[in-house]
Amino acid sequence: MTTLTDCSLTAVPSQIDCDICIVGSGFGGATAARILAVAGRDVVVLEEGGDFTGKSLTQRDAAMYDQLYVQRGGATTQDMGISLLAGRVLGGGGVINACDVVPAEDAIWRMWQKRFGLEEFSPEAMAPFARQALADLGARPIREEQINRNNAILRQGAAALGWRGEVMQHNRADHCKGLGTCLVGCPLDAKQNARITLIPKAIGAGARVLCRARAVRIEAGNSEQKRVQCRSLDRRGYHEQQAFEVRAKIVILAANPLGTVPLLLRSGLGNGHVGRSLSLQPQVPILALFEQPVDAFHGIPQSYAVTQFATCDEARGHGGFRIEGIMGTPGIVGSLVPQAGVAGKELMTQLRNIAASLLLLPDESVGRIALGGAGQAVVRYDLTAEWRQRARQAIRTAARAYFAAGAKTVVLPTVPPKMWTCEADLRQVDALSLAPATLPLLSAHQQGGVRMAASEKDGAADPTGRVFGTRDVYVMDSSGFPTTASSHTMAPILAVAHRQAARLAGRSKN
Amino acid sequence: MTARPLAFVTRRRVLQLGLGAGALALLGGGGLLWLRGAAPAIHDLKCLSPQQFRTLAAMARTHIPAGGPFAIGADEAELARAFDRYLADEPPGHVRDVKRALHLVEFGPILFDRRLTTFSHLPPADQRQHWLAWGQSDLLLRRQVWWGFAKFFGLVFYDRPEVWPHIGYPGPSLERLPA
Ligand SMILES: Cc1cc2nc3c(=O)[nH]c(=O)nc-3n(C[C@H](O)[C@H](O)[C@H](O)COP(=O)(O)OP(=O)(O)OC[C@H]3O[C@@H](n4cnc5c(N)ncnc54)[C@H](O)[C@@H]3O)c2cc1C
Ligand code: SF4
Repeated sequence: MTTLTDCSLTAVPSQIDCDICIVGSGFGGATAARILAVAGRDVVVLEEGGDFTGKSLTQRDAAMYDQLYVQRGGATTQDMGISLLAGRVLGGGGVINACDVVPAEDAIWRMWQKRFGLEEFSPEAMAPFARQALADLGARPIREEQINRNNAILRQGAAALGWRGEVMQHNRADHCKGLGTCLVGCPLDAKQNARITLIPKAIGAGARVLCRARAVRIEAGNSEQKRVQCRSLDRRGYHEQQAFEVRAKIVILAANPLGTVPLLLRSGLGNGHVGRSLSLQPQVPILALFEQPVDAFHGIPQSYAVTQFATCDEARGHGGFRIEGIMGTPGIVGSLVPQAGVAGKELMTQLRNIAASLLLLPDESVGRIALGGAGQAVVRYDLTAEWRQRARQAIRTAARAYFAAGAKTVVLPTVPPKMWTCEADLRQVDALSLAPATLPLLSAHQQGGVRMAASEKDGAADPTGRVFGTRDVYVMDSSGFPTTASSHTMAPILAVAHRQAARLAGRSKN
Repeated sequence: MTARPLAFVTRRRVLQLGLGAGALALLGGGGLLWLRGAAPAIHDLKCLSPQQFRTLAAMARTHIPAGGPFAIGADEAELARAFDRYLADEPPGHVRDVKRALHLVEFGPILFDRRLTTFSHLPPADQRQHWLAWGQSDLLLRRQVWWGFAKFFGLVFYDRPEVWPHIGYPGPSLERLPA
């Protein structure tokens, strides 16, 4: 095995030996794999998703949700209040994300230094890693002609009201043709995700990458030689097949909080902070109907954000809210439209005239991941009263922007949807309870669960990412983030993984 | 491995949500089960019983009926079949929860509306009213059931090529790229 092995197609040896076993092949895991393989380490990467590139990314919602997302797209918090969107595919979340590159602000690094004792995370110390992250992503501004009508409408509304906003940076290559299906994968491989950029480089440097390979437990996590118990999966990734073991001195977990935390808990590793301090950054969808076609499914799905109401400071981290234009393909839209009967069909016949955005609201790290009876993750998350109040303000604000851009109706997807036709209708916003399962909230930026801190008293991992109470078991994904790092996670994940992996690479082999 | 869409319908929760001892006895398989009646045999079901399938199909049809702005509805798009196939590859715990949810919906008119009939036997207009009440309910459990099925129905239905001409979606953009 010298390259990429799909374990659903090939018999796997019952034991694989290596220096470093990495669980998860997203930006965190792939960054670590590349750096450590280039440094001459013998690296094995385990990824439970399949390998999808080019035309195997069919632009079809149901099939792609099934194959590219965690739990076939059906993961939710325990109360079903928030859908948990995350990648489960070789290359991880970058294969299905919206490609917005938003690095962590200096205030966040300072906050982590001060509040959690992450001394070496000063803005100055992180700057080279953040630069490397942007270089890996090939980050570049979205060009004016690439802004689709959906995002242009939001910008127009914000401009009319004098609000600040930004055209985002992204990690799409020049051959992006604006196909509009980023959220179910790019058949042109234009997204510069880990599958396209970092994994081939890691393999080129000698890393062995196994997909359809699930890590189920880590044994002997406190000993020099760890045993990662694994299962190969079938071709669709639904059922476990063969058991095998990976033996490694160092284990790096980069499986997203939804994968990293349950693996630690199932393995009985770490202290009482494991699973705590989870941030979900819940997002609220909002739609608007226009007289003229918007054709929001054409072009780059997300390119513009209203930033006027977002805050970030050293004391409190991220606050306020962003309004970000976005749209998916019809299945995604249909799954979020809570109108049953003929009225629901009528609303969907207006698909071409729908503009949409997500209201992104940073949160406190109030969530928790525990283990269910079958060893599965159970995510508990209660929206705080403060968050709900901010969400109401965000809903009102976004609706105003759409009215300013000429919307005839603003639609909030409650059951049945609220249909507002003028600003006076927005008085109804105050009465929204935002109780679980009254609005289809989404989380695409899970962070925390294995919080890094200087002391065991305050967190689950030390500032190098080593899980307290283990010998060389590390986290290198957003699980380690003490608080929400940015409105968008991939750039900070890359930056932190660069730092942590470079440190490990610099360590002598024994 | 996190809570799946309908992974919440445990007996304990039904109790916590205050549906009462009578409801529990009903859900435990006693009392009023006969009201559900026999369902026609359905071939090639992967996971559900004919009775469960009948409830699911009625729910899908209520959610996305035939007619209105365009003819195709849940039946024509075979949404219930798609759900049965999907469920066949789900973990056993989730399958169990979905079956409990279907049971709850079937007996919803008795539990919540004090009517001596089950969901599949309601006239379509009453099914519509009853289903809407699940989505708007004060009981979290009922809203969860509503969203769990509604998301699946919406995703699968509007992903169907035969639906696209009616909603103005031109289909996958790669096929339309100039060579
Ligand atoms: C729909 C969507 C849109 C987004 N948009 C943006 C955006 O525009 N900009 C941005 O910055 N961020 C965005 N994000 C978030 C960003 O993509 C993720 O935070 C990031 O990709 C996570 O990287 P990661 O390496 O930490 O983990 P992931 O990319 O989540 O990778 C973890 C991998 O581990 C695998 N895994 C889990 N458990 C196991 C196990 N036990 N054994 C083996 N493998 C396992 C999973 O299959 C997965 O592939 C978005 C996310 C989503 C879902
Ligand atoms: S907009 Fe289309 S071409 Fe561009 S990256 Fe997304 S899916 Fe690919």
